[in-house]
Amino acid sequence: MLYVVLFFLMFSLYLYVVLGGADYGAGIIELFSSKENQKITKKTIYRVMGPVWEANHIWIIILIVILWIAFPVYYNIMVVHLHIPLTIILLGVTLRGVAFVFRHYDAVIDNSQKLYDGMFMVSSLITPIFLGIVFGALISGKINIVEDISTLTFYEAFIMPWCNLFSILVGLFFAALCAFLSSVLLIGESTGKNARIYVRKSIIATIIVVLLGLVTFGYGYISGNVFVKDFIRSPLALIAVILSGVLLYPLKRMIKKGNTVWSRSLAGIQVFLILLAAIIAHFPDIIITTNSSVSLIEKIAPDSVIKALGISLIIGGAVILPGLFHLLKSFKMIKILEQNNNTST
Amino acid sequence: MENLDAARLQMAFTLIFHIVFACIGMVMPFFMVVSHYKWLKTRDQMYLTLTKSWQKGVAIFFVTGAVSGTALSFELGLLWPEFMKHAGPIIGMPFSLEGAAFFVEAIALGFYLYGWNKLPEKFHWITGIIIGVSGVASGILVVAANGWMNSPTGFDYIDGKFLNIDPVKAMLNPAWFTQALHMTLAAFTATGFAVAGIHAYQVYKKRKIELHKKAFKIAITFGAIAAILQPISGDISAKDIAKRQPVKLAAMEAHYNTEKRAPLYIGGIVNAETQEVNYKIAIPGMLSFLAFGDFNAEVKGLNDFPEDEQPNVPIVHYAFQIMVGIGTLLLLAGLLYFVSLKKKKWLSNKKYWLLFVLLAPLGFLALEAGWIVTEVGRQPWIIHKIMKTKDAVTPMPGIVFSFYMYIVVYLTLSVAVTWLMIRQIKVLNNSNS
Repeated sequence: MLYVVLFFLMFSLYLYVVLGGADYGAGIIELFSSKENQKITKKTIYRVMGPVWEANHIWIIILIVILWIAFPVYYNIMVVHLHIPLTIILLGVTLRGVAFVFRHYDAVIDNSQKLYDGMFMVSSLITPIFLGIVFGALISGKINIVEDISTLTFYEAFIMPWCNLFSILVGLFFAALCAFLSSVLLIGESTGKNARIYVRKSIIATIIVVLLGLVTFGYGYISGNVFVKDFIRSPLALIAVILSGVLLYPLKRMIKKGNTVWSRSLAGIQVFLILLAAIIAHFPDIIITTNSSVSLIEKIAPDSVIKALGISLIIGGAVILPGLFHLLKSFKMIKILEQNNNTST
Repeated sequence: MENLDAARLQMAFTLIFHIVFACIGMVMPFFMVVSHYKWLKTRDQMYLTLTKSWQKGVAIFFVTGAVSGTALSFELGLLWPEFMKHAGPIIGMPFSLEGAAFFVEAIALGFYLYGWNKLPEKFHWITGIIIGVSGVASGILVVAANGWMNSPTGFDYIDGKFLNIDPVKAMLNPAWFTQALHMTLAAFTATGFAVAGIHAYQVYKKRKIELHKKAFKIAITFGAIAAILQPISGDISAKDIAKRQPVKLAAMEAHYNTEKRAPLYIGGIVNAETQEVNYKIAIPGMLSFLAFGDFNAEVKGLNDFPEDEQPNVPIVHYAFQIMVGIGTLLLLAGLLYFVSLKKKKWLSNKKYWLLFVLLAPLGFLALEAGWIVTEVGRQPWIIHKIMKTKDAVTPMPGIVFSFYMYIVVYLTLSVAVTWLMIRQIKVLNNSNS
C-alpha cells in the first residue's frame, strides 16, 4: 500500500506542477505582456482555465493531506522550518484565486478590473517562486534539525533554510517553468497573430528556463550542494534531464506545425522528466539537512493508516479521475465546435 | 501577546471566516437547483434569472471557501505542528475523503457554471445537485475530524505514544454524528435566513418584488425547516456532551457546584471570582432534565474538575446563551413563515419583510457562537484529555505578525465580497425579467 500512497503523492505533485503550473504561468505571461496583449491573454485564460482552474488547484490540497497523513515527520519539518515561505504561498494562493473570480464574476465591469488584474498577475508570479523556494529549501542542505529548536537562533531555524541563493534560484526556475508550460498551452488556444504572440513567449520562456537551470546547477555545484553533487552522480537523473532538453527540438517543430496535442504532450513530458530527475536523484532522502538527510519513507505513519489512506485514494481516484477527464474533454469538444461555428459564419 | 494566544486567535479568526464562506458555498447550491428545477418546470423567465444570479453567488463563495479552506489545511500544520504530527495520521481518513468530495464538487461546479446551453438540460441540472451533495459531504467529514478532537478514539495512548491506530474508528468517533447533524442544520438555518433576509430587503425596498419574493420563498423554506428541526439535534448534542465532556457542559451553564436537581440558567452575568451568576433566570431541575432526562439527576459542577482543566467559563457561557437564544428566535420566525403561507394578508405588510431583514445576520451569529462553545469549551485540550493546546503550538516566535496579516487580508476580502454581492443585486434589479 505504501507504493499506492507514494504513487498518488507523486501523481498529485506532477499534476499540480503541470496543471497548477500552467495556471500560474498564464498570469506570469499576462504580466510580461504589452497592454494590448494583456487583454487578449486575459480572455484566452478565462476560456481555457475558467471551467477547470479550481480543479487544478485542489491537487495541492491532496498533496498536503497525503503528506500529513502518511509522512507526518517529514511534514512536521516542513511546516516548522518553512513557516514563512509557506505563509507567503498561502497569501498568494488566496489573493490569486479571489482576483481570478472577481475579475470574471463581478457584475459590473469598471476600473476595479485594473486592481483585480494587478492582484492576479503579481500573485501569479510570487506564488510559484515561493513554491519553488520551498522545494529548493528541502534540498538546499540548510535545514538544521536539532533535538531542541530553541537552541537555534531565529535566523538559523526559520530564515536560513529557505532564504538562500540556491533556494531562490530554484524558485525562479520553477516560475519560468510555469511560464513555459503556459505559453505552450496558450499557443493552441489561439490562432493567427495571437498564436504568434505565444510562440514568441514560449521561445523566451524556454531560453530563461534553460539558463536558470544551468545557473542553479552551476551555483549548486560551486557552493558544494549535496543534492547537485548527487544529481550529477546519478545516471538516471542525468539521462532524464538531458532527454528533457533534447525534446525541445521536436517541441519546436510541433509548435511550428501547429500540432497542439503533440506540443502539449511534449511539454508535459519534459516537465515530468525534470521532476523525475529531481526526485530520483536523491530518493528517498528528499529533505537534506545541514549535516544529514531525512528519508521520506522512514518514520512513516503506521501500517493501518497507510492501508486506509491507500484505499481512500484508490476509491477517490476512481470517482474523480473519470469526472475530471470528462470535464476537460467536454469543454475541449465545446471549444472545437465553437471555433468551427466562428469560422463558418 | 504570547505565541500561543496569537496562534489561537489566528486559528479562531480564520475559522470564523471560513465557516461563513463554507456554509454559504455548501447550502446555496440547493437554493440554486430548486430555482433551476422551477425554471425547467414552468419556463418562467424569472426563475432562470434567479438561478443564474445565485450561481454567481455560489461560484464566488465556493472559491472564497476553497481558498480559505486551503489556507486552513496549511495552517493546521503551520500553527499546530505537534498536533498534526501525531493526530494527522489518525484523523487523516475524513480529511482525505473530504479532499475527494471537494474535488467532485469542483468538477461538478465546472460542469454547472459552464454548461448552460451546452450540456443536456437534465444532466446539467444533476451536476447542480452533485455540487450541493458533495458540499454537504465535505462539511460532515470536516466536522467528523473536529469531533475526534472532542472524543478521541481509534488508538491506544501508551507512554505518550499513539499506538494501534484505527483510522476508521477515529473517523466514526462518538461525537461525529451529533456534531455533524447539528452543524448541517445550522448551516441550512444560517444561510437560509441570510439569503432570505437579503431578498426580503429588496421586497421591502419595492425592487423587482415578484422576483425577490420567489427567491425569498425558496431560501426561507430551507432555513425555516432546519430551524424547526434544530432543537431536536441540540437536545441530542447536550445529552452527548453531558456524558463525554461534563466540564464543557458545566462551563456552558456556568454551573459551579455539583448538585442534584440542577437548575437551568437563562442569561445572567458570570462572576468567575465569586463563582456566581447574577441577573439570571433559573429554572429548577431543568439542567438535570436536559442533560440526563431526569429532573433529579446529578450534574457535575466546575469545582469537581482541576482548575487547570477548566475552560474560560464566561466566554463559553455567553456564547452558549447567544446560540440558544437566537436558535429559539429563528425557530419562532420559521413557524411564523409557515403561518404566513395561510395568511396572505401579511405578505403585503412592510413590517413582515422588515422582520426577516433584521433576522438575516442572526443565524450566522448563532453558528459562530456555537463553534465558540465547542472550541473554547474544549480548552485547555487540543485533543480532549490527551494533548494540551499549549504543547501543540509551533516553536516559531512572532506568530502575532502573521495574525495581523490575516486580519488585514480577511477583512479586506469580506469587504470586497460584500461589495461584489451588492453590485450583483443591483444588476439583477436592472435586468429585464
